[in-house]
Amino acid sequence: MVALPGENISAEPAGYHDDGKPKFFARWFYSTNHKDIGTLYLIFGIISGLIGGFLSFMMRMELADPGIQFFTNEHQYLVYVSMHGLIMIFFMVMPALIGGFGNWFVPIMVGAPDMAFPRMNNLSFWLLPTALICLLISFVVPGNANGNGFGGSWVMYPPLSTTGHPGPAFDFIIIGLLAAGFSSIFGAINFITTILNMRAPGMTMHKMPLFAWAVLVTAFLLLLALPVLAAALFMLFTDRIAGGTGFFDPARGGDPQMFQHLFWFFGHPEVYIMILPAFGIVSHIISTFSKKPIFGYLGMAYAMVAIGVVGFVVWAHHMYTVGMDVNLKAYFLAATLVIAVPTGVKIFSWLATMWGGSIRFTIPMQWALAFIFLFVVGGVTGVMLANAGVDAYLHDTYYVVAHFHYVLSMGAVFGIFAGFYYWFGKMFGVMYNKFLAAAHFWLFFIGVNVIFFPQHFLGLNGMPRRYVDYPEEFAIWNQVSSFGAYITLAGVVFFFLMLIEAFIVRRRVGDNYWGEGATTLEWTLSSPPPYHQFNVLPRIEDNAEH
Amino acid sequence: MPSNTKTLVILSAVGVAMLGLGFASDPLYDTFCKVTGYGGTPKIADDNLSEIIDRTVKVEFDSNVAQDLPWKFKPDQRSIDVNLGQSGLAYYTVKNEGDEPVTGVANFNVMPIKAAPFFIKTDCFCFEEQTIQPGEELSLPVIFFVDPQMDEDKRLNDVKTITLSYTFFLTEAGTMPAQNVSLTPS
Repeated sequence: MVALPGENISAEPAGYHDDGKPKFFARWFYSTNHKDIGTLYLIFGIISGLIGGFLSFMMRMELADPGIQFFTNEHQYLVYVSMHGLIMIFFMVMPALIGGFGNWFVPIMVGAPDMAFPRMNNLSFWLLPTALICLLISFVVPGNANGNGFGGSWVMYPPLSTTGHPGPAFDFIIIGLLAAGFSSIFGAINFITTILNMRAPGMTMHKMPLFAWAVLVTAFLLLLALPVLAAALFMLFTDRIAGGTGFFDPARGGDPQMFQHLFWFFGHPEVYIMILPAFGIVSHIISTFSKKPIFGYLGMAYAMVAIGVVGFVVWAHHMYTVGMDVNLKAYFLAATLVIAVPTGVKIFSWLATMWGGSIRFTIPMQWALAFIFLFVVGGVTGVMLANAGVDAYLHDTYYVVAHFHYVLSMGAVFGIFAGFYYWFGKMFGVMYNKFLAAAHFWLFFIGVNVIFFPQHFLGLNGMPRRYVDYPEEFAIWNQVSSFGAYITLAGVVFFFLMLIEAFIVRRRVGDNYWGEGATTLEWTLSSPPPYHQFNVLPRIEDNAEH
Repeated sequence: MPSNTKTLVILSAVGVAMLGLGFASDPLYDTFCKVTGYGGTPKIADDNLSEIIDRTVKVEFDSNVAQDLPWKFKPDQRSIDVNLGQSGLAYYTVKNEGDEPVTGVANFNVMPIKAAPFFIKTDCFCFEEQTIQPGEELSLPVIFFVDPQMDEDKRLNDVKTITLSYTFFLTEAGTMPAQNVSLTPS
């Protein structure tokens, strides 16, 4: 337990009413309060998730049968694929995990009153809706001769993104991603400064909760990787202008492969940016509901640091098939496999935390356990794909689609839902309905597995990604996969029912509604926490657990 | 207490440095490829001063033309056998089948990639832009040799064939590709 001087620091003194909350418009639009901004990020993530989810649902409807059913042509399908990827990554997972939970709980967990630069925090958030609007505009403006929108996938390789899409659709995507990128860079600077400079007395780096560690590593990855994406996007932008540069144009002495190197130098850390905060959240949940401190705390923290560092030197395993020297392949293969070691440290530490613990299968614990299981499945297929020889066969097949959806759509997203249910009462002061939440979990868990597990078989049988149509022999598993999308949709319906029910019924919760096991600083505050927290500065004692 | 502003300045500098590195990667990548022969970039030399040794490789010739260039471009010979260190001379024939004079420039690379650092060109039509009148046919020479040092590298013991590939592109003076593509379905 964190020892605090004075009982119940959040209790308001008699007659104390004014906590300085601004009126509605100023509170939500000029917001500088980290909790309000966190809530805005979460709402934004839910909206983007609905848009991105709608796009993927249309894709699954289309792929349920061979032939072209719903889309007018291949291009339109590819636009949906590309936008699904971009929106889910930049506007759903990142805002929810980093902007949402990061803003809400990092300052509280390290014992800080707010983020280091609250005004910049506001800028970070409001750049995102602007960026999303740019992406949505790109849907309805010309892409190329085949129709509106950009269909070059989230990887945006030239020449498809330069000469292949002469219309303004891709320019809007560049502008949108630059805005989203700068939003994340500002956010990263804010998190790093908060964590390094604003910890409460006694809160040394080695006593810091694992979620704060996760966000710290993530913020460094963002700060180092996103500027490279920005540079690559700038170069694409100038390449696209008639008579402009030729960075990626072989006719003008450029090299399209260089874009792939730049993109994946950003793109690989990006996948860890999406999963590390989920690692942090899951660590807290496993520890809380096993009533044990996390096993191997330092190992857990430095495993995340190791994943972050090694994550920067493995990028070319995404491009084994470009015609790379065999020695280079051997290096990227070995370096990639090394990442399995710190990841394994995390998985086994979670298992060891549960070992001998008094486990409660609450809703967040179910999401966290499912996270571990599904992340291991995705991790194992990742180890397979890391092998350059195997990858030559599986590259750009549905096996890859299954792999990264197991780590993202089920890893990162299950981490988000785990955190959402874990902190739901803390953030909103009310408890969810257990039946609706359980229905959400089970439908979602079964649904996503039915969607993505058969895609392993499709990939191993050679079905390529990014096609609107496919031969008859792939029909059965595609039908199963699409059926899974309907189950998942039912799960999402229960999520919204759960939200509506919880806010109508308003079952109030106490400060620490999970009881013994929940030891981080947010559980010492009221639910929801006061508008400005820590009336008494928390002091962390030397023997405190993490 | 450490100053937040100081941290902000340091972190911003890191961000700007990464942005700069992103842009600098273009010239860096270029230089790196030329120096190391990475990615199949063959080397260029003024003269062939190396001794000829008793190991032959078969050099195969390949040709490609970018989509928007109305040229026919073929090697005169499929392959040549050369000893390491021996200079080889090969010809390509290019013909402008369009109605207008066009200027193009050829890009080149070598397979297998690991042989590229040892494949050296002393003279090549690809060093200059080529302007061809409508209907005109040109014979384009390339002089090259394979560095005998290749024999000392064990990794290249299995190399018996080296493929030299060219792709002709329209030069800057021509129409920009971005304007070439119509926005309306044809």
